[in-house]
Amino acid sequence: MKNTIKQVFHSGKFLFGFVIFMFILLTVLIYPLFVTADPLQMIGQGNFFKPGTYVSVEESTLEKSYTLQIPKQFSKLEMVLDVETRAKIQDFLLKQGVAEADIDVTDAEGLVALWKANYDPNTKYKGYTTAKRKALKRLDSQITAAMKDSGVIVAEKDEEGNLQQSKVIKDTDYVNIKDVSKKTFLLGTDNFGRDVLTELVAATKSSLKIGLLAGLIATAIGLLLGLLAGYMGGLADNIIIFITNLFTVIPSFVILILISYSVGDKARGIAMVGIIIGLTSWPWTTRSVRSQVISLRNRDHVNLSKLSGHSMFRIIFTDILPYIASYVVMAMILQISSGILAEAQLSMIGLGPATTKTATLGLMMQWAMQYSAHLNGSWWAYFPVVILIALISFSLNLMNTGMDQVFNPQLRD
Amino acid sequence: MKGYKKYYGQKLFWYFLTLIFAVILNFILPRLMPGNPVSAIASKAVSGMTDSTAIQKVLNDYATKFGINEPMYKQFFMWLGNALKGDFGVSFSQYPRPVSDIIANAVWWTVCLQLPAIIVGWILGNILGAIAAYIKGAFDKVILPIFLFIGNIPAFGMATVLLYLFAIRLKIAPSSGGYGYDLIPNMSWTFMKSIIAHYQLPFWSIVLITIGGQAIGMRSMSIYELNADYVKYSRFLGIKDSKIVGYVFRNAMLPQITGLALSLGTMMGGALVAEMVFSYPGLGMTLLSAVNGQDYPLLSACTLIITIMVLIANLAVELLYGVIDPRVKANQQD
Amino acid sequence: MGKVMLEVKDLKTKYITRFHEDVYAVDGVSLKVEEGKSLGIAGESGCGKSTLALSLMGYYFAPLHYISGDIIVDGQTISNMKPDDVRRKILGNEIAYIPQAAMNALNPTQKIIRFIEDVIHAHGIKMSKKDIYDMARERFAELGLPEEVLEKHAVELSGGMKQRTVIAISTILSPKVLIADEPSSALDVTSQKMVIRMMRQLMEKGFIKSMIFITHELPLLYNVTDDIAVMYAGQFVELGTAKQMVFDPIHPYAKGLMGSIIVPEEGMKAHNLTALPGTPPNLKNPPKGCRFAPRCKYAVPTCTAMAPDEKEFENGRCYRCLMSVRKLREVYANGSDSKPEPETDFD
Repeated sequence: MKNTIKQVFHSGKFLFGFVIFMFILLTVLIYPLFVTADPLQMIGQGNFFKPGTYVSVEESTLEKSYTLQIPKQFSKLEMVLDVETRAKIQDFLLKQGVAEADIDVTDAEGLVALWKANYDPNTKYKGYTTAKRKALKRLDSQITAAMKDSGVIVAEKDEEGNLQQSKVIKDTDYVNIKDVSKKTFLLGTDNFGRDVLTELVAATKSSLKIGLLAGLIATAIGLLLGLLAGYMGGLADNIIIFITNLFTVIPSFVILILISYSVGDKARGIAMVGIIIGLTSWPWTTRSVRSQVISLRNRDHVNLSKLSGHSMFRIIFTDILPYIASYVVMAMILQISSGILAEAQLSMIGLGPATTKTATLGLMMQWAMQYSAHLNGSWWAYFPVVILIALISFSLNLMNTGMDQVFNPQLRD
Repeated sequence: MKGYKKYYGQKLFWYFLTLIFAVILNFILPRLMPGNPVSAIASKAVSGMTDSTAIQKVLNDYATKFGINEPMYKQFFMWLGNALKGDFGVSFSQYPRPVSDIIANAVWWTVCLQLPAIIVGWILGNILGAIAAYIKGAFDKVILPIFLFIGNIPAFGMATVLLYLFAIRLKIAPSSGGYGYDLIPNMSWTFMKSIIAHYQLPFWSIVLITIGGQAIGMRSMSIYELNADYVKYSRFLGIKDSKIVGYVFRNAMLPQITGLALSLGTMMGGALVAEMVFSYPGLGMTLLSAVNGQDYPLLSACTLIITIMVLIANLAVELLYGVIDPRVKANQQD
Repeated sequence: MGKVMLEVKDLKTKYITRFHEDVYAVDGVSLKVEEGKSLGIAGESGCGKSTLALSLMGYYFAPLHYISGDIIVDGQTISNMKPDDVRRKILGNEIAYIPQAAMNALNPTQKIIRFIEDVIHAHGIKMSKKDIYDMARERFAELGLPEEVLEKHAVELSGGMKQRTVIAISTILSPKVLIADEPSSALDVTSQKMVIRMMRQLMEKGFIKSMIFITHELPLLYNVTDDIAVMYAGQFVELGTAKQMVFDPIHPYAKGLMGSIIVPEEGMKAHNLTALPGTPPNLKNPPKGCRFAPRCKYAVPTCTAMAPDEKEFENGRCYRCLMSVRKLREVYANGSDSKPEPETDFD
């Protein structure tokens, strides 16, 4: 036994998969120790805040500021010139005979320079109504204001309710991030304004639970049926293999949907989903256990036990189970991985755990899809989920392949 | 020829039996559950929802057509009789459209998307797997882990990746639907072009997923076959490697065909969810809307049609296998 | 003396294992087979017989590697030819091979006649499908195989039939040398007899010009081949005519091997059944002196220090032992277990 485990850990594939899986598992266990907030707490008011650190605007304006001479990410000009304004400027410039090739709407500075060169507030431009001329004038003064380095004026209401200037924030004002309240969302927030990272860790935990429960149940049923069919043979074998074949051909996906739907929203918690998945995915294990047992059944040591009059249970426990243990473990690893996937798919159809208390990987996926995260570019709401599902199943499969190579030397290359 | 007849006869009989079983399961599973969906329909009708007239109508229709108040076995035969006529009742969520009409519309989208995608993915995967096994070295070391990883991305995950890359970022493919939302289905060239454009992303996400899984299986099958005695013997008879690779490919492919038959159901399930990501107008979306709209008649018809599709595909694969693999014939002669 | 069909001079090949260790499985083998003659090679499993069979063909692929030595087929040296040329021109054409596990030697999903077509086309021979079919049918008929086999898949044939089909396919191009690696060992007695009869027919009808027959069953060799070589740890320890080898083995190992079997032939001396103790040496690092010394009951300290060369005696017979023929015969005649002093003169 000890030797076998040692051998398994010598397999590079197994080790690689094991390290990934352990990393995920440890993260799931350790992360909540440091981040104790409720993973489903709706911190953000609104949908899909992108990843990054958010600082308090109020505190930033009030906090002691420092003057730093460094270029900023967003110039005020860029902010003032929204898409519509740019279109207006472009339209005006074209009418003034500026060549289309010379206009670059992505370059705010250049656009303003062209505007200043071509626009004169005192000229009466032909082809414009009075209202439009006024709009042009407004635009010009807006641009002029934006170009001036006047800063942002902070005003406070006095006793009479009038605004009184209290502070001017200049272009070059900075605050130290340590001085203000802030919150970092490494993976942004989801459609309900929840921290995706914290949610993801909690979701992984519940998905792993579902996978483990499903894997245990499927393996238990599969092992029992496979042992019975393989060892007893005859009629029992025929019946079991017939049923197994039926459930191999009838897609388990369909049965999963039917049962999940029928169980109803109220009953469908994390455990129930795990149980349902386990109940529908045993045929694979049954098949492989059965074929293993059949090949063992007529081995000398089993025959010897039979001749010695040992009971069936004793033979199964001492002469058969130890020999197929590795296969059973391998089958269970695969069952866990496919259980996690099944939960995700079920949830995406809307038949996942109906719970508001915990997230699962599938539910996170479903929420993201329902709020069109995939169409509005909020990748942080679903890519981490996809990658995590893939990583879990990749690591489990690697472990399985590694073990397979140790136990089936023919596959070595 | 006699051997084949027996093989085909057995297969057809077995699949017929499975079909009957599947149909019974489809009927009985929901009715065995504590929250019986049919009575849920009734409770919904009286719970005073906004669209209560429609629900009342559906319920009446359902009650007369499916005899909700009759004993179970009578219900089954009424349901079966109706199903054989293609009558699954009226949909809740899309009242007053009959369920059969909705399904008939959706089923072709799914068939035309998934059948070619799975076949193409299967062929490409097998070729890549065989090449990886034959060349080994760098190709095998680099390509294999990539495919191993891709093979473990769920189909819907691959769908979101492709969607993000090609529809949202590069904007070279439409993001959702089966054709442009501003078009009316007709036989015009514009419509066809739109269909083809919308086909790409769902198609390739299914293909890529299939490739990943198949390539790994084919690689290990090919390695196994490359070590077979006939390979060595053929070499010592002076036969060229290209020819021997042909033998190996064919022999390694045969178990892959059986593998395909066994995993078709799972593959289709995954592909249906991928369809949903693209809002493709196939059975995936129909399932989703049935679940969201608490539309039991539609859901049950969906699951039945999916089962039948998987059964037919499976049967086709097995019959094909019988022709390709001489071992089947040899076994029948014993 | 007939024309020499196959001559091998001091051939050395090795395996490289997964752990990059060298295993010297064929370590200096020389032999000569004349036209119309056959040579049997016998030895325990693990002595390098099968590797020798593979090495003789002059075409090597991992994990087997060529080190040195010459292989000459009908006057043409093939050991210095390009591997691709060997494969295209020699294999299947000049040298044919019958593998150990003929049960799995045929592609299970291919019709026999298609495979024969592939074999013929691989050597650049232009023949129509019909001509190939006619030729194959004729050859099969000559060898007593039914014509239907041609249109069958390997899986539809019984074990004995498969083996005979393999033999017929291997020799379809009438090669000059046939190398048969335990062609009958996996078969039942009846099939074995048919295979042996077929091998004789091949020689008699001239479908092959010479043969090397490898087996661990010595009595089989006595009936089939003209000469016998006994192999031990990658080397020949003795080579002679079949009769000499069975009735008058010189090398202690050959003597032991002959002693370990019962040959129910008339005139055979009643042997004391002597089992050979111990196992063959590990070829990763063979013993420094005589490779058989650790198991040899006549071995003396010199044997473990000094490696014997091949010595020729009685026109054409060879053996590899430090002791002289006379001394060995004396020892055998006494039947005692006393250890004689070796004579360290080698001529």
